[in-house]
Amino acid sequence: MKTRKLAGSVLFLIGLLAAWQLLYVAATDWLAWAKPYAVPHPSGVAQSVQALLANGTLFAAVAKSMLRVLTGFAISLVVGVLFGILIIQSEYLSRNLKPLLLGIQTLPSVCWVPFAILWFGLNESSIIFVVVMGSVFSISLAVESGIKEVPPIYIKAAKTMGVTPANMYTKVIFPAALPSFVAGLKQAWSFAWRALMSGEVMSASVGLGYTLMIGRDLADINQVMTVMLVIVLIGIVIDKGIFSSVENYLLKKRGLK
Amino acid sequence: MYLQLNSISKIFGDTKKETLQDVSLEVEKGEFICIVGPSGCGKSTLLNLVAGLDTPTDGTIMLDGKKVTAPGADRVVMFQEAALYPWLNVMQNVMFGLEAAGHSKKEQMQIAEKYLKMVQLWQYREYPIHQISGGMKQRTALARALALDSKLLLMDEPFSALDKQTINILRAELEEIWEKTKKTILYVTHSVEEAIYFADRVVVMAENPGQIKQIIPIRFARPRNIEAPEFTALRRQILDQVSLSARKSMADEFDRPEVKG
Repeated sequence: MKTRKLAGSVLFLIGLLAAWQLLYVAATDWLAWAKPYAVPHPSGVAQSVQALLANGTLFAAVAKSMLRVLTGFAISLVVGVLFGILIIQSEYLSRNLKPLLLGIQTLPSVCWVPFAILWFGLNESSIIFVVVMGSVFSISLAVESGIKEVPPIYIKAAKTMGVTPANMYTKVIFPAALPSFVAGLKQAWSFAWRALMSGEVMSASVGLGYTLMIGRDLADINQVMTVMLVIVLIGIVIDKGIFSSVENYLLKKRGLK
Repeated sequence: MYLQLNSISKIFGDTKKETLQDVSLEVEKGEFICIVGPSGCGKSTLLNLVAGLDTPTDGTIMLDGKKVTAPGADRVVMFQEAALYPWLNVMQNVMFGLEAAGHSKKEQMQIAEKYLKMVQLWQYREYPIHQISGGMKQRTALARALALDSKLLLMDEPFSALDKQTINILRAELEEIWEKTKKTILYVTHSVEEAIYFADRVVVMAENPGQIKQIIPIRFARPRNIEAPEFTALRRQILDQVSLSARKSMADEFDRPEVKG
C-alpha cells in the first residue's frame, strides 16, 4: 500500500513537470503569447540548479539565509515568550494589547522594510529586524493562548500538592502548554521565513532573496524559479521535518492524536 | 482537636449569595468524615476552604494548631477528575508532589513504589495517562495524594464519574487503605450510601444558605455491608433529610419569585 502511494506521488510529480513543459512550449512557441526568456521551464530550471550548485552560489545563499532566519527566530522566541507571559499576567494588558497584536500580525512583513532601512541601514541587522517583526507577535499570541488554555484543575491540584507560584510555570504551565507552543512556533516559523524573503530582496548581500533578485536583473527567469523552488522546499522541510513531527510526537504521547 | 472549623461563612462577591453560613466542625486525628447534602449546599466550597484554595468570608480554619491561609501539601485534595498530568506517566505523576516537597530522586522512587503497590498499579507504572482506565486514573490520583503523607486528605466526589462496578472496587480499596494508613479524611459526596460506607461521622448539610443540619455518628463494624438492613434503614433516613432540605429550598424559591437561583 505504501509503495503504491509513493508510486502515485512520483507519477503525479512527473505529470506536473510534463504539464509545465507542455505549457511552456504552448505559450512561447505554438501560440507565441510570451517571450521564451520570460517563462521558466523544467529543463531551464534544471540547468539553473546545476549552474548555481557548480559555482557555489546556491549553497552560500542557503547557508546565509538560514543563519539569518535562525538568528531572527531565536530573538523572536525569547522576546515573544517573555512578552506573551507579560500579557497573561495582566488582565488589563490582555484585554487592550491582544487585539492590537492580532492586528499587527496581519500586517505583511514587507511593511517593516522602510523602518528597517531607516533604523539599521542596508545590512544584516535590518533583515533580522524584519524577520523578528514578522514572527514575534505570532509567538506572543501562541504563548498567551497556550497558557490560557491550561486546564485550571492542573494548577489547582499542583497548589494543593505544595507547588509554589514561582515553580508553577516550570512544573505545570509550560509542560501543559507545550503542544500549543509548538503549534504557534510552527506558524511563527512560516511567518519568519516569509519575512526573511521580504528583507532579503531589498538587501545587496548573499542570500536566497538576493539570488532571486539577481535572476531578475539578468532577466534569467529560470534562476528566479529555481530560487523560488528552493524557498518552498526549505519551508516544507522545516515545517514538516521539525515542527510537525515534534507536534505529532507531543500529541501522540498525550493521547491527543 | 486536629481540624477545627470555627463558624465559617462564605459569601461569593459576584452573586452576594451566602453559600455557607456559620459552619462549625471539629475533626479528630484519624477520623473519616463524610459530608453529604443536596447539590448547591456548599459542600465542595467547604472543602475548597479547608484546602486553602479559597478563603472564608468569616471564621477560621485550624489544622493541627495552625491557621489555614493558603493551599499546602499538608492538605492534599483528590478531585472528581483525576487531574493527572498527561505529559507524565503513572509513576512520574505519583512522584510529582514529592519533588516539590524536596525529596531526593531516590526517595521519590521508593515512596512512589510503595503507594503504587498499595493501589495495585505497580505493573502499570510506565503507562501514559491516556492509556489507563478511569478507575486506574483515580487510583493513580489516590497514590499521588497518599504519597505526600499529608495531615489531611480532602476528597471531592472522587469516584462519582466512574461506573458502578469500578466504584465498588475502589470503595473497598480505599476502605482498606484507610484502615492501614489511618489518614484523617474529609470526603465530600452526593451519595448517602457512600457516606455511610466510609464515615465515622456523616455530616449532613442543608442548602440556602449552606449549613450543617446534623452530624450522625456511624457505628457499624467495618468493612460495612451496604445490603445489611440497618445500613439501608439509616441510608433511607439520611436520604429523606437531604431531599427534604432540597424540596424546602425549592419551595422557598417558588414562594419568593424575586429571588433568582
